[in-house]
Order: sequence, then C-alpha cells, then structure tokens
Amino acid sequence: MELFANLAHGFAVAFSPINLLMCLIGALVGTLVGVLPGIGTIATVAMLLPITFGLPPVGALIMLAGIYYGAQYGGSTTSILVNIPGEATSVVTALDGHQMAKQGRAGPALAIAAIGSFFAGCVATVLIAVLGAPLTKLALAFGPAEYFSLMVLGLIFAVVLAKGSVLKAIAMIVFGLLLSMVGSDIETGASRMAFNIPELADGLGFATVAMGVFGFAEIIRNLDHGAEMDRNLVQQKITGLMPTRKDLADSTPAILRGTVLGSILGILPGGGAVIASFAAYTLEKKLAKDPKRFGRGAIEGVAAPESANNAAAQTSFIPLLTLGIPPNAVMALMVGAMTIHGIVPGPQVMQKQPDLVWGMIASMWIGNLMLIIINLPLVGIWVRLLRVPYRLMFPSIVVFCAIGIYSVNNAPVDVVLAGVFGLVGYWLIKHDFEPAPLLLGMVLGPLMEENLRRALLISRGDWSVFVSRPLSAVLLAIAAGLLVLAVLPTLRAKRDEVFVESEG
Amino acid sequence: MSDTPSEAPVKSILPKWVRGPQDFVGGLAMMGVALFALWASSDLQGMHGFSFGAGTAPRMFAVLLLLLGGAVALMGILKDGPHIAAYSWRGPLFVSAAIVFFALAIRPLGLVVSAFAGFLIAAMGSHETKWIEAIIVGACLTLGCALLFPYVLGLPMPMFPRFLIQ
Repeated sequence: MELFANLAHGFAVAFSPINLLMCLIGALVGTLVGVLPGIGTIATVAMLLPITFGLPPVGALIMLAGIYYGAQYGGSTTSILVNIPGEATSVVTALDGHQMAKQGRAGPALAIAAIGSFFAGCVATVLIAVLGAPLTKLALAFGPAEYFSLMVLGLIFAVVLAKGSVLKAIAMIVFGLLLSMVGSDIETGASRMAFNIPELADGLGFATVAMGVFGFAEIIRNLDHGAEMDRNLVQQKITGLMPTRKDLADSTPAILRGTVLGSILGILPGGGAVIASFAAYTLEKKLAKDPKRFGRGAIEGVAAPESANNAAAQTSFIPLLTLGIPPNAVMALMVGAMTIHGIVPGPQVMQKQPDLVWGMIASMWIGNLMLIIINLPLVGIWVRLLRVPYRLMFPSIVVFCAIGIYSVNNAPVDVVLAGVFGLVGYWLIKHDFEPAPLLLGMVLGPLMEENLRRALLISRGDWSVFVSRPLSAVLLAIAAGLLVLAVLPTLRAKRDEVFVESEG
Repeated sequence: MSDTPSEAPVKSILPKWVRGPQDFVGGLAMMGVALFALWASSDLQGMHGFSFGAGTAPRMFAVLLLLLGGAVALMGILKDGPHIAAYSWRGPLFVSAAIVFFALAIRPLGLVVSAFAGFLIAAMGSHETKWIEAIIVGACLTLGCALLFPYVLGLPMPMFPRFLIQ
C-alpha cells in the first residue's frame, strides 16, 4: 500500500495552487511552442529551460515536464493540420492524421489523438508509480562498477534504438563525454581544458550547449531550405470535434496496443517515444484487416502512434527518476535542470526528495488531463499560430534564446558559446551526426568518470572488476550483445524498415 | 538556394578513392577534435597508483574518439556514401552575427537595444524578410521579453543603455 501512500502524497504536492499553475503554464507554453513548425520537442524544452531557473525546484520540474508533453501534443496538432510534423514522434501521425483532416475530419483526428494520449498518460503514470520504488531499491544496491556498466548499457541502448549509423552515434556520445570533461575536476580541482577562460572554469554550461546544438543549429538548418516552408494548411473550418461511435470502436484496441508498446519502449533508453510511435503504426498496419486504408485516413493510424508516443514520453521518466540515468535527450535536459537546482539525480532522489518525485509523477497525470480539457477548445488558436511565417519566427527564437542563455549566469560569453555550438551543431547535421547522443554523453560524463574512478580505486586498479562482479558482467554482456545485433545486416534492415514507414 | 554550387569544389579536393566524402570528412574532423583534446589535456596529471589523475579520463575519452573518428573515416573510404551537403552562408552568418552582437551589446546597451537590433540582424538571414513587418514584430518581441525576463521571472538584467541611465 506504499504505492497509494506515495501517489496520495504526490497528488497533495501537485494540487497545491502554485504547482497546479506551473503545470498549466508548462502545458500551455509547451503546446504553444510545440505547435510552431520547425521547433521540435528537444528544442522547445531547451529554449524554455532558462525561464524555469528562477522557480523553486519542484515547481520548475513540474513546469518542465508540462512543457515536454505539451510540446509533444502541439507536435501532433501540427502534423494533423499542416502535415508538417513538429517533431519526429509525430511523423507517422501525419500520414493518416493529415488525410483525415483533408477529408474534413480534423476534429475527430485531434480528439482521438488527445483521448489516446490521455489514456496512455494515465497508464504510464501508474506504471511509474509501481516501478519507481522497487527499481530505486535495486539501484541503491549498485556499487560503482555496476553503476558504470549500467550507464554503458544505457548509452548503447540509446544508440541502437536511434536512427542512423551506430558508429557515428557512439562517436557523438564520446564527443559529449569529452565536452563534459571541460572545467575543474571534481576530485583534484585541477582545471581541465579550460584555457584559463574564467567562464569555462565551471565547465561548459549544459543549457548553453543544448540551446546551441538544438536551438540555433535547427534554425540555421531550416534557413537552408528558405524561410518559406511549404505549408498545406487545411483551410476548412474544423467542425464537430467529437469522434463518432464507430471511430471510438475502431480506435480503442489501437489505443490499448499503442499504450502497451509505448510503455515498454519508453523505459528503454534511446529514441523511446520516436521508435514507439513508428512501431505502433507498423503494428496496426500489420494487424489490420485492410492495410490499404492506412495512409488514407485510418483513425487507428492516428490513435496508435499518438498513444504510444505519449506512453513512451512518460515512462522515459522511469530510468531518470529511479536510476538517475536519462534515457533520451529531453531527459538529459531534465537532468541539467535538476543539477542547476542543486539536485543530484540518482536513486537517492526518490528517498530524499519524495515531494519532487511524486509531485512530478502526479502532475503528469494532471497535466494530461489539462491538455485534453484545454487544448481541444483552443484548436482554433493553434491553427492561427500555424500561420505565423517562419521569416518572423526565426529571428524571434534567436533573440529569445540569446536572452535565455544570458539570464542563466548573466554571462555574455555563454551566449557566444551557444552560438559556436550552433555552428558545430549545423556542421554535425550536415555530416549526418545525430546531436542527441552528444547531449546524453555530456550529461553522463561526470557520473561515468566518478564511478569508473571509484570502481578502480576499490578494486585496486584491477580492470577485471567490471566482468568479475556478476551484475556488472551481465549488464556489459547485454550491451555487447546489443551492439553486435545492431551491426548485423539483417537486424539493421529490420530496424531501418520501421523508420522508413514514414516515406511509404 | 540550390545545392549545386558548393558541391563541385569539394568533390575535386578529395581524391577518387574516397567513396563517402560525408563520412570521410566527418570522421577526420572527429579525429581532429580528439587530437586537440589530447593536446589540451596533456598538461594534466595522469594515473598515480590506482587512482585517476585529472587527465586520465579526458585522455581516455580522447583516444576513444580518435579511434571512432578513424573508423568513421575508414567507412568513408570503404563504402559508397553521400556527398558533402551544400552549406549556405546567409543563414549561419546572420544568425551568428545576431548572437555575437547580442553578447557584446547586452552589458553596455541593455536588453531593449540588443534584443531589437539582434532581431533585425537575425532577420537578414532570410531573403524573404519584409522590413516593416520585421520591425513591428521585433518591437513587440522586445517589449515582451523586457517584461517577461526581469519582471515576471525576476531575472535581473540591464534594460537600457548605460549612458542613458547615468
């Protein structure tokens, strides 16, 4: 019954007026920015990170979580109405969602997306609460060697499940690890690779790099295509939000399957939410009696991926809250936010700061409820926002990000650094390097170094400690196995097939 | 913005045996980063006894990146891959200029001037910018940020040029 006590405690925290307000603002602002085309979830969260710094930690994280699922929801709205997915997770939603919108059924498509997301959110919230305590206990029994191996496994998972070349993704992780080494060494206090620049003494700011690589780099890349993106906004007036009884009957099993698939994939590190939505869509198409309907406005094609990506978005909090290991780039940003508020992520957070953890879990459920209640009536406003031309949007984002970065430390150097990382990010995108693993590496770098150090100190310099301790050996073996599987041609083909779906 | 012009010179620089220029150059650049990190951390203490020195982990990661970069570059030689994508200069130039200008101006000139000017500089990054519209939106954004950051969020920052206040 500990579970109910914990959840009750969480709801007590989340229902305090200030936290309710934070949740509401987060969900609204997240949707607002998420709706704007060309800004993905990661960029949205990175952009809005600085505005939460002045808040108390619990409120700040509740707001950030709200921004996260708000942005996801906003992304699906865009993909249904304009056929420009705001982000990777809603790419598949656009396939059938936009077709529905063209047939004048935008209302039911949006409603089903919201209902599916809400249902998935409820299930995921319960799942987080159920798995939270036991996983934390497990993590607390981990020694440094196990912890290090777990992080290796997490990073490998993230690489294998993501899109693109495994080798290049690993290179990006190591690049991130290297970047995290800049600044003073925790143990010896020696200044590392800081070149006597005082602003680098504390290391590269996390928000700075994230904003550069995701915010500025995205903008520069979007400008490549010319500011005017092709937009076939559905011009018809959206009438009749409510899905018909047949719609509901068709989509119920899809929502259920999507939720299960999403919940499982979300816990695994990597592009959880992205791969979940692709996999859910593929599954529906395989199970359907008439697969030809897909891509022509099948409501299951909206319901399943939307439920899956929302479930995955929420369950991806599990590794973060229980193990302190961020499974994807957005969670890495959450770690950054926690660190700025002086919270060291890890299994101890759940015990030392139950307010924070359970308050956040409860607020996710409340936030999802808010999204469904607020957003459906607001669809009209979101549609108008979609008409904001990119030529006006991008300078606004540049300025907003610049002010945001400056406000973190009141340091102009940070702004320049973010600009440099913007160019680095643009170069990386041009060379087909994914920037997300870089962020993961950067967040995990200090933790990995510390645990590696301690493990070797305890074993008196014996590297075999990582394979002689059974738990650590198992974790590393799984990581090695995954890596081998990922490079095998047959499995690669399967993996790519899941991602190719969007082009079909 | 077409992608033809900048592709041609790149092709001619690289020798024929490079089959995937994108990976080849990408891998080499990663190796460069790794070598730079090795050099930058060369003054740091290494292992002493069983414990890590300040330089152990950075050098370890740098060596790892060197190997991975090498592997990526090798893939660029062994496997056919995409050409180097075309870069455009306009977007990166003006967006960077706006960022640098903002960084230099925020302390002496304050939020209002640097945000507004930064907006206009960034707006030059696209040839589709319409100036009257951009000035109006820039002014609104500046006003919004001037209210949001210092007042709503309570983050203190200079608002107006220093010489006006004194």
